[in-house]
Amino acid sequence: MEGSISNRIRTLRFHNAEMSQAELGQRIGVTRQTIAAIEAGKYSPSLDAAFRIAQVFNLPLEEVFQWDAKAAG
Amino acid sequence: MPYREKTAWLSLIAMTVTFGPYFTFVALRSMPGALPDLRQLGLLAVAAIAQAVILGAGHMYLRRGSAQDARTPPDERDRAIMGRSISSAYYVLIGGMIVVGCVMPFSSNGWSIINAALVMIVAAEVVHYGVVVLSYRRQA
Repeated sequence: MEGSISNRIRTLRFHNAEMSQAELGQRIGVTRQTIAAIEAGKYSPSLDAAFRIAQVFNLPLEEVFQWDAKAAG
Repeated sequence: MPYREKTAWLSLIAMTVTFGPYFTFVALRSMPGALPDLRQLGLLAVAAIAQAVILGAGHMYLRRGSAQDARTPPDERDRAIMGRSISSAYYVLIGGMIVVGCVMPFSSNGWSIINAALVMIVAAEVVHYGVVVLSYRRQA
């Protein structure tokens, strides 16, 4: 089964006092460019980083990241 | 552009402008003399020193322009890109070394073997930094 990971980080940042990518990156220990790549769906973060992002927004992991499954073939 | 992508570009440019002319000269030149062939050794030294100077000056310039980024330790994405680039370069290097170390001694000698080894090392480095640049571009 194939799938892709999507996320609501951009929206959540906006609703959290318009937190910048750099600030979020600083809080979880990654660069601004890595946050930008995660938001754009071009880089899938490690489980550790994903949990840390969710913790910044005080939300469970599944409310920040979603896995959209597609049947192979 | 991430700091690490800039340094990868710098390494690619430094290699192109130093070892590019060196290999062009070697390819156009008639058969090199017997070892040690000081003229050829001198050219290699010029290429290596020029590369070191370009890299040194380039790193100083980049650090001055993005001091904060230069001090930031690599994060998980940087490490993933680094791991991918090094493993890609490894296959080029190991393949090249098999040819240079196990095949060429039966048919070539002297500077031909040295230059072939240098080509393989430079090719591995180009793959290494090329994969770094491509990875940052794709994930930008």
